[in-house]
Amino acid sequence: MKIWLAFLIGFVLPFLSGAGGQTAPPNNTALDRLPPNWRDDRGETLRLQALHGEPIFVTMAYTACHRVCPMTMARLTELQRDLDASGVSAEFLVVSYDPANDDPLAWRRYRTRHGLFRGNWHFLSGTPADTERLARVLGFEFWRDGEHVMHDFRIVALDGDGAQRGVIDSAHGDWRSLL
Amino acid sequence: MTRQVCRVAAWALCLVGACGLSSHAVAADNQNDRVTALEQKLDRSLKLIEQLAARVRELEAERAGTSNLTQPAQPAQPAPPARPAEAAQQAAVAQSLPQTQQRLESVEQQLTQLADANAARGGGGAGVPLHGFADAGIGNHTANEPGLQGANIGALDIFLNPQLGEHTRSLFELVFEVNSQGQVAPDLERAQIGYQFSDAATVWIGRFHTPFGYYNTAFHHGQEIATSLRRPRFLLFEDQGGVMPIHTVGAWLTGAERLADGRITYDVFVGNGQAISSGSIDPRSGGVAHGGAIYGGNLGYVFGEILNGLKVGVSAFRSNISDDEQLGRITQVDNTGVYFAYDTDRFEYLGEYYRFNDRDLTDGGPARQSNAGFLQLAWRLPLATPYVRYERAVLDQGDNFFALQSNGMSYYREALGLRFDLDPKSALKLELGRTKNTDRNIEQWTDAMLDYAIRF
Repeated sequence: MKIWLAFLIGFVLPFLSGAGGQTAPPNNTALDRLPPNWRDDRGETLRLQALHGEPIFVTMAYTACHRVCPMTMARLTELQRDLDASGVSAEFLVVSYDPANDDPLAWRRYRTRHGLFRGNWHFLSGTPADTERLARVLGFEFWRDGEHVMHDFRIVALDGDGAQRGVIDSAHGDWRSLL
Repeated sequence: MTRQVCRVAAWALCLVGACGLSSHAVAADNQNDRVTALEQKLDRSLKLIEQLAARVRELEAERAGTSNLTQPAQPAQPAPPARPAEAAQQAAVAQSLPQTQQRLESVEQQLTQLADANAARGGGGAGVPLHGFADAGIGNHTANEPGLQGANIGALDIFLNPQLGEHTRSLFELVFEVNSQGQVAPDLERAQIGYQFSDAATVWIGRFHTPFGYYNTAFHHGQEIATSLRRPRFLLFEDQGGVMPIHTVGAWLTGAERLADGRITYDVFVGNGQAISSGSIDPRSGGVAHGGAIYGGNLGYVFGEILNGLKVGVSAFRSNISDDEQLGRITQVDNTGVYFAYDTDRFEYLGEYYRFNDRDLTDGGPARQSNAGFLQLAWRLPLATPYVRYERAVLDQGDNFFALQSNGMSYYREALGLRFDLDPKSALKLELGRTKNTDRNIEQWTDAMLDYAIRF
């Protein structure tokens, strides 16, 4: 019996020891799970890891949307106003649903048209695969219908560690709970 | 007791090790199965870890002289000295715990990576995402059947656009409608499969919305997506009384190319020539035994910085159309159109104008001119979107193409509407309209309608 146990333990231990370099520390915060690099409206690369330590509010939008996205921008503006009143700094990420059309120039024009000039607001575009991945990780549902992108209203809040702190959407609209 | 502990520990370690083994073994399975299996194994492993930890605490307590942790009031008993073999086994178990924890973290990380990979693939584990539209209405007339009134079911529009790969695209729109007899009629309104070479060029094959003007490709069978309660009458779908070839079955090349400021869009298509059957246009989705073809194109320009949101364009098509009234007769329908769409956060202005120059190829008669158009103005206000629309069609009744269609008479319609976006996925629309047929059967009626439209 003892021999059997010793054999069993000896058999199992190599698998438990993580041989083969599989023991890298897990990265499980929402921010860590997002694609790391995005192109911003200045045409520069924004590394999301560089935002660690600050609360982050993430939403998705596209420049040709005139029905849902204006409402999202209005909510973000209200959120920014409340943060300013509380003396809290935060980063705002607006990620394009439609990266094929929303290049840096399109985003710059969008900022100008909507008067969104704050430096802590980042209007980002990525590859279609990265866009899809970010949407899945943060729970943004969208689908294309010809020229239209069908999507919902949603803002996700991440804390300074990159963990998801809360969501506001059509059903949960009180953004003050995220402050 | 010690033997029992060892047995528990051995089985636990064996199972945890099996997790590690199986995480390699399932590599060949699809990722969804792997995610599910790993989740289950992770749960089991965590339970075993808890059992082991509790057991080790119990053993340590025994060694410290406490026979039962749940009875601290009992006087402490001296722990019997552990035999060397048992002590070694206990030490092995205790030593393996942090390793097991490490292993579990690794499994957890694999699980996260697999979940992310699955997400990046588009959630294939859930199959093809099911989307769609639906609407129901009530009014003194139904939206498209002026002879009916009361409540009516609009349509249930099942919309599928599975992502099949980096370049292959597909789109299927299966619509369930209730016809004027109250029967549910399924209709595969769109079924197109395409290859996307780049943003500048995608080739589709199948049944698609004929790319003339703006409205017909921008809006489809789901009413939620359109600002107004109903389409312009001459742009209704064929089975609802529209007089244009709304659908084409064939091949379609489409794309857009960015210019210095704006964007140019183009469409070129060719397909089966339509037929007029039982008073309405038949796209002949199953192919043609005889008759002609339809071909045409569309060229548009989307403004950039200046006049942002404005698109203007021209389109044209020619279709050789047969009918079931006279075998072998072909009517050549030539259509040219101009359009604009000015869509901003504050308003949506749409306008289209089409001119027909049709010819009966069988008798070689003169060309017959007709025209149709509409102008729609909508304003996006904070609480609602009011809109007005005027549409007019002057259709030559000597033209077989219109004369053979049940709804092919001239008319005008004035409409005033209000759209409430209750949330991003549902809208309530109200419309008052006045329609007058100006030839064939001259008559006039007024509509008051409500429609509740959703998407999912």
